[in-house]
Formats: sequence, structure tokens, C-alpha cells
Amino acid sequence: MVIGIGNSLGHDDAAGLQIARRLRASAHLAGMTVHEHEGETLGLLDIWQGADAIVLVDAVRSGAPPGTIHRFDATSAPIPARLRSSSSTHAFGVGEAVELARALGRLPQRVVLLGIEGRRFASGSGLSDEVEAMTAELLEAVLTEARRLAG
Amino acid sequence: MSNGRRTRVIRTDYLARVEGEGAMYVKLDGRTVSEVKLRIYEPPRFFEALLRGRAFTEAPDITARICGICPVAYQMSAVRAMEDACGVTIDVGPLRDLRRLLYCGEWIESHSLHVYMLHAPDFLGYPGAIEMARDHREIVEQGLQMKKAGNTVMALVGGREVHPINVRVGGFYRVPTKAQLRTLKDPLERARETALATVRWASTLPFPEVECAPELVALAEPDAYPIDLGRIVSDGGLDIAPAEFGDHIVEEQVEHSNALHARIRERGTYLTGPLARYGLSSRHLWPLARDAAREAGLQPVCRNPFRSIIVRAVELVQACDEALAIVEAYERPDAPAVEVTPRRAVGHGATEAPRGLLHHTYEIDEDGTILDARIVPPTSQNQLAIEEDLRAVVERGMDLPDHELSIRCEQAIRNHDPCISCATHFLELTVDRDAERL
Repeated sequence: MVIGIGNSLGHDDAAGLQIARRLRASAHLAGMTVHEHEGETLGLLDIWQGADAIVLVDAVRSGAPPGTIHRFDATSAPIPARLRSSSSTHAFGVGEAVELARALGRLPQRVVLLGIEGRRFASGSGLSDEVEAMTAELLEAVLTEARRLAG
Repeated sequence: MSNGRRTRVIRTDYLARVEGEGAMYVKLDGRTVSEVKLRIYEPPRFFEALLRGRAFTEAPDITARICGICPVAYQMSAVRAMEDACGVTIDVGPLRDLRRLLYCGEWIESHSLHVYMLHAPDFLGYPGAIEMARDHREIVEQGLQMKKAGNTVMALVGGREVHPINVRVGGFYRVPTKAQLRTLKDPLERARETALATVRWASTLPFPEVECAPELVALAEPDAYPIDLGRIVSDGGLDIAPAEFGDHIVEEQVEHSNALHARIRERGTYLTGPLARYGLSSRHLWPLARDAAREAGLQPVCRNPFRSIIVRAVELVQACDEALAIVEAYERPDAPAVEVTPRRAVGHGATEAPRGLLHHTYEIDEDGTILDARIVPPTSQNQLAIEEDLRAVVERGMDLPDHELSIRCEQAIRNHDPCISCATHFLELTVDRDAERL
């Protein structure tokens, strides 16, 4: 299962959602389901309920150069603070949703976060050039990860 | 200490467990609280600008994106304002009932999130819900289960759980069948039971005996608890139509915050939200919620912001009860919406978002193009009241160490469930005790 997370009106914060859309439109992997999730993140627990393995795709703001792709395996370790929820406009970010699920025994067996470093997170639409330029690569990384987790 | 005075600053640059990001700054001069600022940074009112030039029919979908927690509130205030501009009224009948049902779903979703995940850790002594979940798994699961019931209502009536897409000016794009709506019965009945248990549980939490003073402002209806409709009233004598909002409420720019501060003209600070709704309309709660409130020890008016956790739980009971009644009485309307023809006009809409009064004003052209938009979210209305609470907390707790005082201040802010992502997009928090202290 792949879940693209973000905010469609938060410039680069929309990156995860866009990847999910492109994945749905262009790429097909047997047995892979794709979700987009916008807004309040506790809903993620219901989305991934019953899934064995998930790839979370989100924009991050860690200080790395914009467009940098981060990979973190959250299967047994918490997502580091620097890679947590890009925009933090919500009380619970993606990292918190993962940890709450872990505390409740509701986390899938395998969890990988693929983050793309954003540059602009203010209100507005359109990805910045650095992020846009890396979306094909991120898409490929998501597919690679999904294949690996499926195998 | 030659002059016997010292300056202390307490600051928190990141506020946890509020919807959004924020900062607090408190300055103590000797034993006098000289400054209290809830700092909110607002981008150039992005959404109001975005709305200008768009079609009047787009307002519900665009404004729904302002907040991931209360999109329905934005949609409902938007459609009410647009219908007001176009001379259409949807105050009775199945379309209004469906709107109220959808809104109940959002109250259930938002209140259970706040009560269980954000507010409860303050009373049980945990830094957050994750740590609390390790020791009190059943409490967190209860909250998630109830939240899911709210999301199920939103998904069925609103089309989607987050940013519902089925709401339009005049009604809905599609209306559910009677059979579809009946599928909500079981989850809502379970949620209602959980909500009753939540009231009982919340009433056992330890509460400091404090009261807040501001004028209470909320919508009110003659014979209903306010959610999606009503006049704007207060315990200070305000009783106005949503169209008169701008005549009585002034918004001011202050230096330390990019959000506008709202005041009642000539009287000042006011409070919206659960305490205001309950204080002004507790007599309109249905018996189940009213009895639960009484058994929990709530008086008809509650001014203790910490006890807002009980009031939210009582509102959860009311929302579940009303949602069930709507589900049971529902007859599918012949048309999913009434026709709305634009005209050149100004329209106003006010509804009760989970965290308080949400007011929209739009000016539209004869072809329905939006010429101007003004959105006043509950958190910017509550900002002054929250600052007053902070001042009281610091005055009571000034002998506490910084860290502890800072936690008390954060709790005082969380009592009001501020949605800083609505009012703004970035806020920070500080308690300042100067180096001179040592």
C-alpha cells in the first residue's frame, strides 16, 4: 500500500499527493493500492488497517537541499523529528500517527517513509522547480520500495 | 536585587497539541505580568485573496481547504453566506437536516480528537497521546472509535472524510438514500454510548477552580442547541443577525500577531466555542446530554476553561443523539439541491465550528463572481480571551519554575482548542524571566 500525504494548497506540501495521483495514473503493480491523504493524520490508522506493508510519501523540511529524497524505515524505529510532518499545521503529524499506531499495536509490519525535501510550504499551489524536477525519481523510488516490500 | 524588581520572560516557540503552530510570550516585571502575547503569524489572507474572481459556487470547496479538522464548518458558513446573498433560505426540511447531520459528524470527529488525543494528556500527566496510549490504551481506542464514527458520517453525507466534496450552494450534489443513511445507525449508537461514558470519565478528572470572565458569544436558536444556524447572541446583551456581525465586532491588527484580533465594539474581549454555546444554550440540550451534564456536576453555565473537556463530551452526546434522530427520520428529498441564481449582493453566514463561531461575508457580482471575501475564524476571535487566561495562569503560578509555568500556559491555551491553522499558518509561544533574575 502506498499513501501519498500532503496539503494540496501548500505548494511543495502537495508533493506526496501528486506522487499518489501520478502513481495511480501511470504505474501499475499487482496488488498495490494507492491512497491520497490530506488533512488530519489520525485517519491514516484507518487507511492502513489490515495492510502488511506501507510506503508513506510526504514532503519534509529538514534543512537538506530542496528536492533531496529521504528514505527512512520506520518498521522498528520512530521517524526522526527532522523528517516529521512537513507543514505541521496539524496537531498530529505523520510521525505522531505512526508512533500512536505503534503504541496501540496498529502499525503494519513494514513501514517505509519516502520524503522529498520541499522549499515552499506557504499557502499556494504548484511545486517548486527543485521538487518538480525530482518527482520522476521519487516515483521510481516509490515503485522500487513497493516491489521490495511486496517481495 | 537593588531595586527589588526583576524581569522574567517565559517563552515557548512551539506549541504542541494545538491545531497548527504557535508561540506564546509572557513577560513578568517583578511580580507584575507586564506582557502576554499569543503570537500568530498569518500569511497575507491567502484564501480571501484566492476567492476573489472565482465563482460563488466555488466558495464551499475552496474554503473547506483552510482546515483539515473543520472543513464542514467552512463549507457551511460559505453556503449560508452565498444563499443569503442570493435570497435563498434552507432552514427547514431534509436538506437542512442533512447539513446538520454532516455538521454533527464533524463535531464528533473534531471533539473526540481534542478530548482524547490533545486535552486528556494534560489531565492524566502525559506529554502527549502517544505516551498516554502506552498506559491507557482503552482511552485512546475509545477516542479513535468515536472519531471514526464522525468520519463515517462525513464520508457518507459529505462524500469524503477530509475536505468533503458533496456540499454545494443550495444543497448537495447527491443525497443519500434512506437505506444508506441507516447504515450510520449502529456506529452512531455505539458512539453515543461512548460519549456518555466520556462525560462520566471526564467529570472525574482533576480541575483547578478557575473562571474566565469574557463575554460569551455563540449562535442561538429559539429551541435548538446551536450548530448550523441562528442569531449571534451573548450574555452581555448582544442579539444580532449574522449580517450585523461587522457592526458589532471589530477586528484589529496588533503588532505581535498577523492574525486580526476581534473585539466586541465598546466592550472588548469575548469568547466563542463550547463554553459559550453551553452557557447560552444548555437549556436546549436534549435530555440525554442535559442529564449527563448534570450528573457530571456541570452548572447551566460553566466558565472554567479546564472543564471545557466535559462540555465537549456533553456536546458529543448531543451531536450523536441529534445525528441518530436525523438518520431515523430521514426521507430522501426529491432534488439534492434548490436552484440558486446569483445576483449582485453581499451575503453573510455564521455557523458553529467545533471551536467556535465562524463568520463568512461575501460580495458577489450579478454573474456570481466573488468580488470580496471576509472570513473570521473562531481562533482569532478567541485570541484575546486566551491571552487573558494566560495572564491569570501566570499571576497564579509565578512562583513556579519556568518549565512548569510554561506547561500550565500551554494547557491554558489548549483549553480553547485553538485551530491555529485556521486563524493563521504559523504561531509560536514564550515565558520571559530575564537573566537579571539570577
